[in-house]
Order: sequence, then C-alpha cells, then structure tokens
Amino acid sequence: MPIEHSFNPYGDSSGGSTLAIAGKDFAILAGDTRHSTGYSIDSRNESQIHSVGDGLLVSPNGFSADARAFVDDVHNDIIWYHHKHNKKLAISSCARSIMHTLYRRRFFPYYVSPILVGIEPDGTGAVYSFDPVGSYEREASRAAGHASELLVPFLDNQVRKANQVDPETGKPLAQHDLDLETALQLVKDAFAGAAERRIQVGDWLEIAVVTKDGHKVERYPLRRD
Amino acid sequence: MFLTRSEYDRGVSTFSPEGRLFQVEYSLEAIKLGSTAIGIKTSEGVLLGVEKRVTSNLLETSSIEKIDEIDRHIGCAMSGLTADARTMIDHARVESTSHTFNFDEAISVESVTQSVCDLALRFGEAGEGEEQVMSRPFGVALLIAGVDERGPQLYHTEPTGTFYHYEAKAIGSGSEGAQAELLQHYHSGITLAEAEMLMLRVLKQVMEEKLEAKNVQLAKVTKENGFHIYTQDEMAEVVERLGATGDEEEPGLRQ
Amino acid sequence: MEHHQANWGRPRNDVYGEYDFAIHNAGSHDEPTTRTLQPTVTGSSVIGIKFDKGVILAADTLASYGSLRRFVDEQRLFQVGDQTVVGISGDVSDMQNIQDTLDQLEIEANYDADGYPGPTAPSIHMYLRRLLYYQRSRMDPLWNSILVAGFKNDEPYLAYVDLLGVTYQSGCLATGFGNYLAIPLLRKLVDNDGDEKNVTYEQARKAIEEAMKVLFYRDGRATDTYHVAVITKEAGVQIEKTKCENMSWKFASQIKGFGTQKE
Repeated sequence: MPIEHSFNPYGDSSGGSTLAIAGKDFAILAGDTRHSTGYSIDSRNESQIHSVGDGLLVSPNGFSADARAFVDDVHNDIIWYHHKHNKKLAISSCARSIMHTLYRRRFFPYYVSPILVGIEPDGTGAVYSFDPVGSYEREASRAAGHASELLVPFLDNQVRKANQVDPETGKPLAQHDLDLETALQLVKDAFAGAAERRIQVGDWLEIAVVTKDGHKVERYPLRRD
Repeated sequence: MFLTRSEYDRGVSTFSPEGRLFQVEYSLEAIKLGSTAIGIKTSEGVLLGVEKRVTSNLLETSSIEKIDEIDRHIGCAMSGLTADARTMIDHARVESTSHTFNFDEAISVESVTQSVCDLALRFGEAGEGEEQVMSRPFGVALLIAGVDERGPQLYHTEPTGTFYHYEAKAIGSGSEGAQAELLQHYHSGITLAEAEMLMLRVLKQVMEEKLEAKNVQLAKVTKENGFHIYTQDEMAEVVERLGATGDEEEPGLRQ
Repeated sequence: MEHHQANWGRPRNDVYGEYDFAIHNAGSHDEPTTRTLQPTVTGSSVIGIKFDKGVILAADTLASYGSLRRFVDEQRLFQVGDQTVVGISGDVSDMQNIQDTLDQLEIEANYDADGYPGPTAPSIHMYLRRLLYYQRSRMDPLWNSILVAGFKNDEPYLAYVDLLGVTYQSGCLATGFGNYLAIPLLRKLVDNDGDEKNVTYEQARKAIEEAMKVLFYRDGRATDTYHVAVITKEAGVQIEKTKCENMSWKFASQIKGFGTQKE
C-alpha cells in the first residue's frame, strides 16, 4: 500500500465560545475574544461578534479561516439585497440566505456553527442557530464553540427552566421571557464558568445587546490564563 | 414618415443621427394596437381589467387570457403582442419563486417589475458569453399589480425597459381616452367596489363592442386573498351592478 | 555498476535481502504515486511587536533544506508600499511567489494612482488572506505563515495570516517556533491591546533582540544573522541586517547534544 499524505484544509484555529439569548424586545449575543490554535493563545482580542448590517449580528463559531470567509459572504449578501430590493433584510430572510450560503458548500463545508441574532419585524428578539451545512431553527437561546457543552445545559436550566420545579406547588416552572437585567447576569455567569473550565475561553467577554434602535457592545474582563 | 426613417429603422443596435432607436419606438406602437387594459390601485387592493376582443361568436371567450398570475400576491394585465408576455411572465414567476426560496419571504412588486424590465433590454446581438433572448424588443406592455409590505402597488412596464409606479393606468388602443377618464375620476379614497364600477365604465367607453360579462375580464390583488381572477359568476355580478347603477350618470364615482 | 537511482547505494540484496518497497511508495508500479504536499526549503520564525510609534519585525536569514543550512543569506522581510513590511516564514519558493505577486500588486497600484499612497498594511493583509484562503480551498496551499506590519489610520498595525487562511491581530505576534519561544518574552511588554502605547522603541527593540537570541539558542532551524524592519510614521520603513550579540552558551554544557560531552 502506498503511504498517502494529503493536505488538510481545516485547522483548529478558532475563537472561544459565543452565546445568544432572545428576549421580549431585545436579543443578546455574547462571546469571548480569545483566539487560539491548540494550546497557543494567538490573540487576546479577536472579536467573534460581527455586525452584518440591518441590526443583525452574527457569530460564526468554528474554524476561523472559514469563519471570516463566511461572515464576509453574509455581509456581501446583505449589501446585494439592498442594491436589488432597496429595503431592510428581515432576520428570517437573512436566516434563509445563510442557509443557502452554508448549503452551497455542502461537499466542502464551512466548518462553522453560526448564530444569528436580531429583532423580528414584530419587535421580538430573535436567535437563529445553524449547523455547518445549513440546517437552522429559531430558538430562545443557543451557545456554540468550545464551551457549548458547558453553556447549553446552563441555558436549558436558566432560560428554558428545564428541570426546575416550583417549591410551593411542586409543578415544573414555565418558561417566560427573561428581562434584560437577568439575561445579562446569566451571560456573565455563564462565561465566568466557561473560562474556568475551557482553556480556549478567556481574556475578554463582549456582550452585544440588540434592540429595535440598534446594538451596543460592552466588554468585561475574563480570566487570562 | 417612413421614407425619412428607412435608413435607421432596420437594426435594433443602431441609433439614428437624432439619437433614436426606431425599433424600440415602433414597439410602443405595437402596444397602441393592443386591446385596452386598465389598472386601478385602491387602499383595499389593486384592480386589473382588460377588454376581450371577441372576433367571432364561435370563439371560446375563456381562451382569451390577458390577465395572469405571477405569484400569490402579484398578477399582471397585458396589452400588445400578448405572446411576448409569456416570456416576461415566466421570467417574473421564476424570479418570484426563487426569491421566496432564497429569502423565505414574498418578493416585492417593484423587484419583480425591475427583473422583468431587465429582461426587456436583452435584445439585439448577444454580448460575449451572454445568452441572447430576443432578436427584437418585446411588443407588449404590462400592468403589474400586487400587494407587498408597502401595501397595494401598481406598475407599468414598457418594452423600452422603463417602468412607472401608478395609482391608475390604462394601456392599449383605448388608453388615451381611458387615461383621461381615470385622471378625472380617480381619487385616493376609492374603494374596491367603486373601482370595479369605474373600471367597467371606462372600459365601456373605449370599447367598440357592447360591454358584456364575457368580453371583459377583471382581476384583483388583495392582502387577504392575494391574486384572484373574477369567475364568470363574479363577472356577471359586477356587470349587472353596472347596469343597475345606470351608466348615463356617474353614480359610485365621487368627484 | 548499478547506476539506477532507485537501487544505487542501497544495501546489497544478497547480503540484506530484498528491499521492502511497501514501506515507501516510490518503487511500487501497480499503485499510483501520490505526491506529498510539504514544504522543502523553509525559513523559520518571523516575530513582530508594536511600540508607541510603530512596529518592529524580525526574521533570520536562513533557508533550510530539511536540517541542512542550505541558503544562509536569504531576506524574508519585504517592504510593500511606503509603510508596510511583510515577513514570511515557511516554504521559500512559495515565499518568492508571494513576493512576486506583491511586487506586481505595487507596480499596478503605481500605474493606477500615480503619486497617490500605495497599498496600506490592512489592504495587503486582506489581499494575502484572500490569496492564501483561495489556495487552501483549491487544496494547493502556499505553505507559509506571514506577518504584515505597518499602520492603520495612523495607529500601529500587526497581523498574521497562514496557509489555511487563518488570520488574527495582536500587539505582538510570531510564526513557527517564535510562538513558543518569542511570544512569552514579547508579551511581557505588550500583553493587552493598547499596551504598546507605553512601550518605547528602545524597549521593543531590546525585546526583539532577546527573542531572536533565544530563537538562535533553541530553534535548530534558526541562525544568528537576521533582518530587523522598523516601521514608523516619521521615517517610514528601515530594514537592516544584524547579528545576535552578547550571547552566552554556558547553558550548553548542561544539555545533551551541544558540542562534545561525556556521559
């Protein structure tokens, strides 16, 4: 048998993790700014949150070369939508467009698990999540990246109220929309925990809050080791 | 007139010394020979109406189709060489369905109109690597009616590739008289029921034949029900209503 | 005499038995020959750090052929435009190909905009990112890791791009072994974004010299002669060739493999 060597076009360079929560009239997209390859910290300040226009934020989550190319694609698609249709791209339409961007590369995929965040035309906060080849759905919350296994169960429990019962009645707690204050505290706690247990997560936490008036980003320190 | 133009009216890719493309201008003449088609925008939706020229009593009038669906929320009426409209409507349908496929939303009426007009200019010699569509300009004008996020919309497209946004518009052989009537009687508060009467009244004035339920066709696009071609029963009902209101005066038409 | 390249110099069959061609694919005729994608002649680390008024880049002059010191006077830092330097490690032939491409890019830019400023560091970095990502997507990569240094809106700019199209920016960056040996030294000065504002040229220069010395000590593919590029707003680009100084090899006696030693 010949000994085969081939070039692997994928690498393990990536950002840490990102997390999104949809509220009644806001949506949050948060991510750390560490960029790492293997055990090396490449940069302490590479944002994973990208504003692609029309009040929409995207975090690509995955192999960072593909991630950048993917975000550029999404950005360009929105610019061309504006040229062609002369109106704002609705988040549900952006989600469908992202699906095609991903599925177009079905047999040489972008190695990413993107999250799209924004406000629906009806005013509600929205989170859409995707797999690398384009399957997508709208959700109340989602986490992706290196700490997703840590963050997702935490969100299930705190946002969806999974496995929580009312101590008075003994009945399961119902899911209800979080207020911004609570959601922000959840995000900070979630990332403090993620940075504790995942070497790929750390340095800075960026939290973007999207409302109908646009988005604001705030930064908080995370552990740096 | 034709003598003076004869040197420059043969090719579609040659301007005359005065800067005119005669073949394109002649294509506008083809529309003036066509049957009259009218569009009226109301706040409830858009109404389209065409006259059917029933040239023989043996003709099945239902086979004259001058109003067609583009998508659930967009329809169009045509005048001129109606066979040419098939190409344009097919193009519009592809554009509309692919937009829904790509963006999970209904395409806006203006975008469909723009795409049809892009097609209108793809005549003459094909460029390098470009597929040629037509050897001559289209000989048909469309009234594209629809309802999108900006509400009811009415557009008029010409073979020149230009399009206009209208409140009410008439095209075809009777368009001059019809447009004057529309200008006089249209008002922005008009209801769909009033528009039906205005439509039939104007068509009646410009048609050579006597207006009957079988030689006119109406269609409407509303937010609730989308594009809808009037059935025979519905046509009979509106024509009857026109008769009942009397056509000598102008009932149902507010000044 | 057996002159054939596949047989000459091999152990004799009558003494050692048949050569087992299965352990490499060169001699098997019924199987297709597959090409290995790997760099051949390589340059080692490129390192860079920002300081208050600009950026410093350094790369040694060695181009190795495996473990052979094949070319000892190669320049791996290139000026592009007025205020940008590109430092390239990895395959040297791919490096020269990129060098040609960048030269061409600069010539075209000069044709198009006579007298206007040439390409900026961010635009050159973006160009290289698209180029390297395109080549990796064709499964025909340019086998390099590259640092781009210069200015972005009058602020020092330093960015990385590699054969996969991976990019990032930081106050200090390094390719290859520099990642393990130089970065810890450089991060003492510029750990966080913005730290470079409190770093003088002298401090940054000293850190670069120390880092290049450590690389020469510990990187078997490094040499003691290197180029340093200093990029500032006032003086533009200055590239000089220099040597590691004030070295101490006392540690060598403690380590296996350096010089002659007894057990």
